[in-house]
Order: sequence, then C-alpha cells, then structure tokens
Amino acid sequence: MAEALDLSKLDSVFEKHRGEEGALIPVLQEAQEIYGYLSEELLAAIGKRLHIPLSRIFGVVTFYAQFYTTPRGRYTVRVCRGTACHVRGGKYVLKAVQQTLGIGEGETTPDFKFTFETVACLGACALSPVLLVNKNYYGKLTPAKVGQVLKQYV
Amino acid sequence: MSEGGRKLKLRSDKDLMALQEAIGKERDPNKTCVTVCGGTGCRAWGGEEVRLAFIEEIRKQGLEGKVDVMRTGCHGFCERGPVVVILPKEIFYQQVGLGDVPEIVSKTLKDGSLVERLLYTDPATGKVVTYDHDVPFYKGQMRQVFSDNGRIDPTEIRDYIGRGGYSALSKALFSMTPEQVIEEVEKSGLRGRGGAGFPSGRKWRFTRSSPGEVKYIVCNADEGDPGAFMDRSVLEGNPHLVLEGMLIAAYAIGSQHGYVYVRAEYPLAVQHLKIAMAQAEELGLIGDNILGTPFGFHLKIKEGAGAFVCGEETALLASIEGKRGMPRARPPFPAVAGLWGKPTNINNVETYANIRSIILGGSAAYAAIGTQGSKGTKIFSLTGKINNTGLVEVPMGTTLREVIFNIGGGIPRGRHFKAAQMGGPSGGCLPAMFLDLPIDYESLTEAGSMMGSGGMIVMDEKTCMVDIARFFLSFTQDESCGKCVPCRIGTKRMLEILTRITKGEGREGDIDLLLEMGPLVKDSALCGLGQTCPNPVLSTINHFRHEYEAHILEKYCPSGACEALVFAPCENTCPVRCDAVGYTSLVAEGRYPEALNLIRLTMPLAGVCGRVCNHPCENMCKRGEIDEAIAISSLKRFASDWELRTGTMTPPTFLEKPKAERVAIVGAGPAGLNAAYHLGRRGYPVTIFESLPMAGGMLAVGIPDYRLPRKNLENDIRFICQHNVEIKTGSTFGKDFTIGELLKQGYKAVFLAIGAHLNQKMNTPGEDADGVIPGISFLRRVNLGEKVKVGEKVAVIGGGNVAIDAARTALRLGAKEVSIVYRRTRDEMPANDEEIEEAEHEKIKILYLVAPTRILAENGKVKGLECQRMELGAFDTSGRRRPVPVKGSEFVLEVDMAIPAIGYMPDLSCLPQNDGFKTTKVGTLSVDPITLATHLPGVFAGGDVITGPSTVVEAMASGYRAAVSIDRYLKGRDLYKDRFYQAERRADVPRAETEGGEETAVKPRADMPAMAVDRRVCTFEEVNFGFDEETATREAKRCLRCDLER
Repeated sequence: MAEALDLSKLDSVFEKHRGEEGALIPVLQEAQEIYGYLSEELLAAIGKRLHIPLSRIFGVVTFYAQFYTTPRGRYTVRVCRGTACHVRGGKYVLKAVQQTLGIGEGETTPDFKFTFETVACLGACALSPVLLVNKNYYGKLTPAKVGQVLKQYV
Repeated sequence: MSEGGRKLKLRSDKDLMALQEAIGKERDPNKTCVTVCGGTGCRAWGGEEVRLAFIEEIRKQGLEGKVDVMRTGCHGFCERGPVVVILPKEIFYQQVGLGDVPEIVSKTLKDGSLVERLLYTDPATGKVVTYDHDVPFYKGQMRQVFSDNGRIDPTEIRDYIGRGGYSALSKALFSMTPEQVIEEVEKSGLRGRGGAGFPSGRKWRFTRSSPGEVKYIVCNADEGDPGAFMDRSVLEGNPHLVLEGMLIAAYAIGSQHGYVYVRAEYPLAVQHLKIAMAQAEELGLIGDNILGTPFGFHLKIKEGAGAFVCGEETALLASIEGKRGMPRARPPFPAVAGLWGKPTNINNVETYANIRSIILGGSAAYAAIGTQGSKGTKIFSLTGKINNTGLVEVPMGTTLREVIFNIGGGIPRGRHFKAAQMGGPSGGCLPAMFLDLPIDYESLTEAGSMMGSGGMIVMDEKTCMVDIARFFLSFTQDESCGKCVPCRIGTKRMLEILTRITKGEGREGDIDLLLEMGPLVKDSALCGLGQTCPNPVLSTINHFRHEYEAHILEKYCPSGACEALVFAPCENTCPVRCDAVGYTSLVAEGRYPEALNLIRLTMPLAGVCGRVCNHPCENMCKRGEIDEAIAISSLKRFASDWELRTGTMTPPTFLEKPKAERVAIVGAGPAGLNAAYHLGRRGYPVTIFESLPMAGGMLAVGIPDYRLPRKNLENDIRFICQHNVEIKTGSTFGKDFTIGELLKQGYKAVFLAIGAHLNQKMNTPGEDADGVIPGISFLRRVNLGEKVKVGEKVAVIGGGNVAIDAARTALRLGAKEVSIVYRRTRDEMPANDEEIEEAEHEKIKILYLVAPTRILAENGKVKGLECQRMELGAFDTSGRRRPVPVKGSEFVLEVDMAIPAIGYMPDLSCLPQNDGFKTTKVGTLSVDPITLATHLPGVFAGGDVITGPSTVVEAMASGYRAAVSIDRYLKGRDLYKDRFYQAERRADVPRAETEGGEETAVKPRADMPAMAVDRRVCTFEEVNFGFDEETATREAKRCLRCDLER
C-alpha cells in the first residue's frame, strides 16, 4: 500500500459524529467500512481529529475483535464456534476450512482472497454448524460440504 | 393522524387511537396473506428467495392485489425453515423451497387445497398438522413476547400500531404517573431477563430516586452467549416492542436519552432497529413532545465491536463511552452512577419487551403466570442435539422435560439425553436427574446452573462433558478483558489443566485443583464473566466426575469426542476396544486372515460376536451420518467364517513366556473365556471350571442355534484353548469346590465369572401352574438337547433378547401361535432391533403396552393369560415413561404355555454366607470398579455376576479387565495406576484411492442374505447365511477410515 491514504473520505464521518460523546468506536467502525482496515496512518489521523492520543486508540482497537489493523481478504470466512455449532461437530468444519484455505485463524491468504476468522456465535443455531462468507450464511455443514461452499468463491 | 398517505406526528392519545382505528379499517382480516419468515435463520435457509418467488408467482397467476405477501420476523421454529404461514387460516407450511412456490399459489391460494408434503408431520405420532397452533412445538408454548412475531412486518410501524402497538406507552403517559408505572412493574415481579434476574421494578426505582437531572436508559442487546439468539429474534422481528418498553422506562425513571447497544454480529437487528426508530420518530413517538406530552426521549444505536465482555453492564457502558470494554467494581451501581457518571437504567432486550403486557394487562395478570419467585414467561433458545431447534417461550416453572421432549421433540437419531447446559458459559449443566426441575431463577441456581440469558443447549451421549467444560472455558478465557488477576490468570490456568486432560495428559490431583481454583476465581473476580466462568467446570465435575476420571486414569473418552484419545469412534466405543476400523480396512483389501488376527488381539470370540453382538460400534459409526453404519459385526463374522472355510486355524500367539502361577476361573461364559484367553497369552496356565456339560455359558445355553450355531461357538473356544487354557465341565462352584479349596490346590488367583442364570419371578398369581416355564430354564433345556414339549398357543412375557429367543424357539418347536407380551412400547424394548425385526418376520405377535395380571389355570394347567392394557404415564428415574394400567381394559389371551422372561439375576447362593462378600442393592456382587477385586486377595469377579444381565461384549470387557488385574497382582504391581488401554498393534492399511466425492456418495448398507422365512420357523439351522466375499469387500470399502482423520 504505497499510495498515500485519501483522508478526505473521513470528513463525512467526522461531520456526522461532531460533538458526540463517546464517538471513537462508531468512527472507527465507519472508517473501517470505508478503508477495509485500520492502518496506523489512519488511526493517527483519527486521533488527531478527535484529540485522542494514539496510545488510547490502539488500546481500543486491539481490545475489540472486529477491528483489523492489517489488510483483509476480499471474502471473510467466519466459522461459528458457538456451543450449538460445537456440539454438532463444529470443530471438524473449522479444521476443514483451515485445510482448504491453508491458513490459520485470523490470517489472510497471500492472494488476499480469503480471510479466516472464527466467531463465538452467529445466532443461527438451528443451522449449526454454520459459517459465513461475507454476508452469506451456510448451514448444516459437514467437512465434506466445506469444499463445495468455498469453491464458489474461487 | 394519517392524511392521504403523508404521515403527521401523533399529538395525543386520541391521535394514536384514531390511527389504530384507521389502520384496522384499511385492513381486511379475511384477506389472504402469505407470511414468509424473514428472520436470519430462515433467510439462511433461502427464505428471501422464496418470498420474492411468491411475489412473482402471485403476479403470474393473476392474484396480484388479492393476496398479500408479508415478510415477518422470526416464528421461532428455526429447524423447519423456511416457514410460510398462510393467513388468516394459519396454514403452516415448513421447509418451503423455491420449487414449491408455484404449487402453493395454485393449490392453496387459488384452489383452497393443501400441499400435503409441506405440512408438518409430528414425528412422535405420525399425525399431519395443518394449522400453526396445532403444531406441538407451538402448542406447548405461551407466546406473549413473541405474539406479534409471525404477524407483522417489522419494517412497517403501521403493522405494530394496527395490533395495538404503543397503547401501553399512551396509557402510561396519559393515565399513569411515573411512580405508578414503577409500582406496576414492581408488582408484576418482572426480573431482569439478561441472566442475573434482578427485580426490574426495583432497579427502575433506584434509578429514579438517584439524584440528578440527567438520566440514561440503556438496552443491552449484546447477546453474546453462544447458542442464544432470543434477543436477535425480538429485535429483528418486533423492534417496536422493545422501543415501547424503553420509552415507558424512560418516562418512569425521568430520562430523556437512551442507547441501544447491539452486537455487530446482528446486522439485520441493527437495520430493523434503525428503520423502526426512524418510523417512530416520524410519528412523534420518539423525540420531543411524544404524543404531544412534555415527555421527550432521544435514542441512539451503538454497535458493539466483537467483545463478549461488553454484555456485562459496566463494560457495556464503558464501550458506549468509547473506551475499552472493561468492567469496573460496583458499587456504585449504574442506577446510581452509570453512563458518564449519571444514573443509568440498563436492562436486557427481553426485559423491555415484557413491559408492554405488564402496563396493558396489569401487574396482577402478569404475576399470575409463572412461579412464586419467577413471574411471566421466558424465551429459551433450544439448540444442540434436539429435534426441534428454535425459540421457545414458556411460563416460568415449566419443566426441562416439557421443553426438551414435548416442545423440543426429543433427541435425534434415537440417542439419549445426557445433559442440558443453561446459562451458556456462565451456567452449569443439568443431567437427566433434573429433567423434572421447574425452570425458575431459584431452582436453577440451587441445581448448580443458572437461568442466564436463556440459551439451552441439549447434549447426548456423544458429547464429552470434559470437552464441553474445556470449550466454555476457552471461550471465556479468550473473552476475558484481562483487568483482574483471578479471571485473567485463573481462567488460563484452569484451561491449561482441562486441555491437558482432554489430550490424555491429565494428572492425579487435577480434579481437586480445579475444584479449588474454581471457587477462588468465583469469589475474587471483578465482574460477572470471571465470577461465573468456573461454573461449567464445577458442575460437570459434580455430575460427571467419572468422565473426568476416565480421561485422567484410563486416558479414555467415553463419548469419543476428545480426538487425542480416540483412535476411531467404533474402536473407542467397543467395550473391548476391538479395532473395528482396522479389521474392516483389512477385509476391504482382501486380507482376511490378518483381519481375524487383528480381531483376536482384543478378543477371541469372533464367530460369536459376529453373530450376536449388540454392536455399540455401529451406533457410533460416522458412516451412519451419511447413509447407514458399516455392518461391522457382520464383517467380523465374515472373517471368522473364512477361517472355518479354509480349514486352518491360525496358530496361537503369546505375549510373554510361560509362567508357573496357575489361575482358576469359575464359569466358561464370555467373561471367563476372555479372561482365560488373555491370561493364557501372557503365559499363565489357566483352568476354567464350568458347571454345565459344555462351555460357553449363555452363549451355549441361552442363545439358540439358529442365531449362534454350535460349531461356530466351538471353533472360537477351540482357539481359546490353544492358549494354555483347560476347561473342566461338570464342576459346580459351591458344590464341587470352594474358593478356599482352589487356593489350597495351588491356584494363585481366582476369577469368579458365574454369570446371572436365575429367573426373576413375575410375582403374578398363577405363576406356578403347569405349563409356565421361565425363559432361561426353557432355553437351557432346549439347548442341552431336551425335547421340550411346547403348547399350541404360547405367550412369552418380556422384552429382552431372552424373550425373543424364547419366542422364536417355541415356534421352532412346533407352537402354532406365539405372542410376546411387553408392558412398554417398541422403542423401549431392550432387545436388539434386529431381533425384534426377525420376530416380526416370523409372524410372532408382539403386544405392546400389555402387562399380565394373572395366569389362568384349569386343573393346574395353564389355559390363559389375563392381561391389561397399559398407557404411558409420567416419567420415572430411568428417563422412561412409566406404564400405567388402563382401567377396564382387561382381556384374556388364550394360551396353553406361558414363558416369563422379564429378567434374571445372579445366583449367589454358591458363595459362602457371611464370608465378607458384598452385594449391591440390585443383588449383584460388589467389587472394586477399576480392579474388579473382591475383599479376598487374589480373588476377582466380573461379567453378569457383577453387572446383572448385560451383553456379551461387556462381559468380555470385564474378563479382560480381570486378566489385567490378575496379571498385575501376580507380578506384584500396582492394580490402579496407568490402567489405560494401549493397542498391541494396528493394521497398516493406507487409505484406498477414491475419486473426489465418491467417498461421501450415498451407498446403502449391504443386506444380510438369509433363509426364506417360511423355512426358518421349521428348523434350528442358522437363519443368516453371512456375506459372500464380494459383498463383504464392498461393504468394508464403505468405511470412511476415521482413524486416518486424526
């Protein structure tokens, strides 16, 4: 990412939350929507605008699972590791995803196609075991079906 | 007031009522409306596509304008999605696919007829249900909070208002003071639905009375418990219900600002909330001067960013303030100093969702539902090993059993209830003994669990409780904010211990350490996460300690879930750890003698088990999840039969050099035979003393020849005797010799495996008549060669394998009509499924739910069986429903012979009286469970004599355990340490090459070729012929090779 960051896209975000107390988290969420991930440069810019020290911003960013400080893949594969999914064999699905994608949890494939994450519970327990690719749900999975699901995105 | 489509703000209660009326008038309650569930679950099933297809198809078939299509919120029956309910009739269609839509439109919408295949069939009764309210899943529920869910479009405020929405707010604003509102909530007894159950009215009062002008209302919608999705469905399906509750709370407390904190993983809930808020604002129901009153309330949504701990109230408030979600000490409680230091009332989504009915219906009506301490209804998300996954709303006080079995439909695949986890990672597990527990805050806490947010995860015998504890702790450890030492370090250390245990690296003292650390963490952690996270560990140790001990002492996972300890599910479940996957893979390769040798490493009765085993391995076989389990037992038979076919017996194999110490075994049944074999292989000279004229125990005199031919049993026994084993028949323990005499004769150890051969009496009048022969005696006499005369009409009483064996034997001896009388249902019959089927093939009449009351005799000879019909009543402690006699249902079965086969017991009269032998409550011999030692040094006991009637393979496992104990005893080694099973060797068969997808293509199980039915009943020749080579190889190739998945 050698190009300079276009920070003008953030202006509307700051406008929206001007004067709001506790705006840091929504600002980070919206910034991440726009830029895909929160680079150090981006965080520094946010800190400057909101008058919040970078150290505190880092503290917040690293605390919450949904903030990413590295570039992500085009498709985020989220495997549910909730109890209902676990009880119905979720760990085998997780392993199958790991094997198929060739990356571990929290990692992104070298071609930036897939990012692999686990989520504690997606709340779609009737379909357990479940995984999500971006916003698409796939349920009643078995290790065998994982390959078929992921193949659609190749 | 609505004017030509343009909405104006409502400025009074009358405006609201007028709008409600106007909406009512513009809607025709009789107009057909296709409601399609739009909850996240049904959407994932393809619900949105179905809905769009309906719109298209309705237009195509010319019904546009005549039929509405509405996307509603979650109906709760997620298992059966996509759910489509046709109003106003409430026709319930489930699992509706795209292809079904045209038919529904043409048949149901146009023609008024039903599409049968899409209706719900109750698996318990087989009945087909047409209407929503008749579906058992819904019948058992009391849907108050969910009452609007299937009937409104959550993105259309007019639907909500049309059903009386915001009337509660109006009532509060216009006819109640804030004090009165709080009083009503207090009197209702409503308790926080987030998990802690704090009385909501009291919390509102505290917040109201805290000093300060600025106060906040916060809704905790950070539903983080894995397996819980109640709040999601309320927010997605009826967001206005929550908003109305919050508005009333704000009015009562005196707050003008509020937040809804929703977890980011619920995008649809966020979306629907935003729409709802915008629409409410438009109508003047949120904002300044609500309904024209001085009361104003402004609401904002805050999205979570992926932290479970933010469900904890102080962490949540910190997150709203833009900080790390770390809890703080309380007091001060949020009601006094919360968001930005101001008094804040924070309640769960479901709590707010209950407010409307309290205000509209009154506190008394609300308090009439539920128990003394827990009022109203509660929504549970029922998931895991359950047939009807979904959301269930029931009054407090409903029992676990009602929820899981009546509403939830029980456990799939014929498995059994093991435990239910309630309260998620903060709760404890509830095993079967708590099934009749009424669900309320107090009773759950007393039972070691907690209500929690409402997640109810059902587990069966394939769930490992140690693994579940580890699973929950790994979740809470990951989510721990790290602020306080007890949670940050305590959870880490506890997780380490649990992980070690599941990997087979458990140590003595681990359990005690967990029991020490758990309460420590509970007492000293800063917030609810740390204070409750040891609960799953402590409750599983409390109720399933034996599982922990098995993992630690024997490196064994009984449920087969802990990968590091499980070679393959079949091998793991087998009581003797027979390497099923190994010999199956060898048969697949055509290496039959090697397969037999591999089997014989663990047990020598291959020909026997290949015919009569109850094959627990097949019940665990993973192939069964795709199509049908591998016929593991029949493949064992094939390998054994092959040996007989080739005529050469494989030579004996010994593990150790010959020894001098002689061992005596009493009883040549499966337990004794296996013990002898394993001791013989280790070099000990063994003598088995058998009372009957031949060896085999129940194998010889219990199981008839048509199931287990004599020659196969003898072949196996011959193999055993090659291993230094001598069998002395005609020698009866207690009569011909005693233990003392054996020891005097120089035997250094004794194994008592005398089995259970004594008939249990029915205690029915007339039992002593002529023509009544107890099942075991009957079978023994026939198997010993006696020509037993049977009647023409025979009744066998009982439901186990002995009863079926007796019935089929009587048939073969010439009885014209044979019936089996069993007091419970087919599902509960203990006999092997195959045996029941065989009896049915042979036209034996099985009368279910019938119990004998008297045996009628004439001149001392049986002439009839007086019976009474039974029906299933309440559950007993074994988890089965107790049969209850139906009054006036007596009838007489005309029979001239009755065979009681209701159970049998060990005959302990051969043991010296008062010699220190202990018996259990059920009359079996009591021994140490790990070593099988009796109180006499060097004397062990096992098999049916200690367990009561059990299976062949369990008896063999007992024999093996005794052999290990005796071997250690004779070598002077510790009998308890390191008693984990280690396979002698494994088959080394690489995975067969298959084409992609072929492995998991559906391939049915091979059928067992058998004798024609009409020929069967005239002979004692073996019914089943066994697989031929081609069939066996093909069947063996279906194996998924789970051993290679590790």
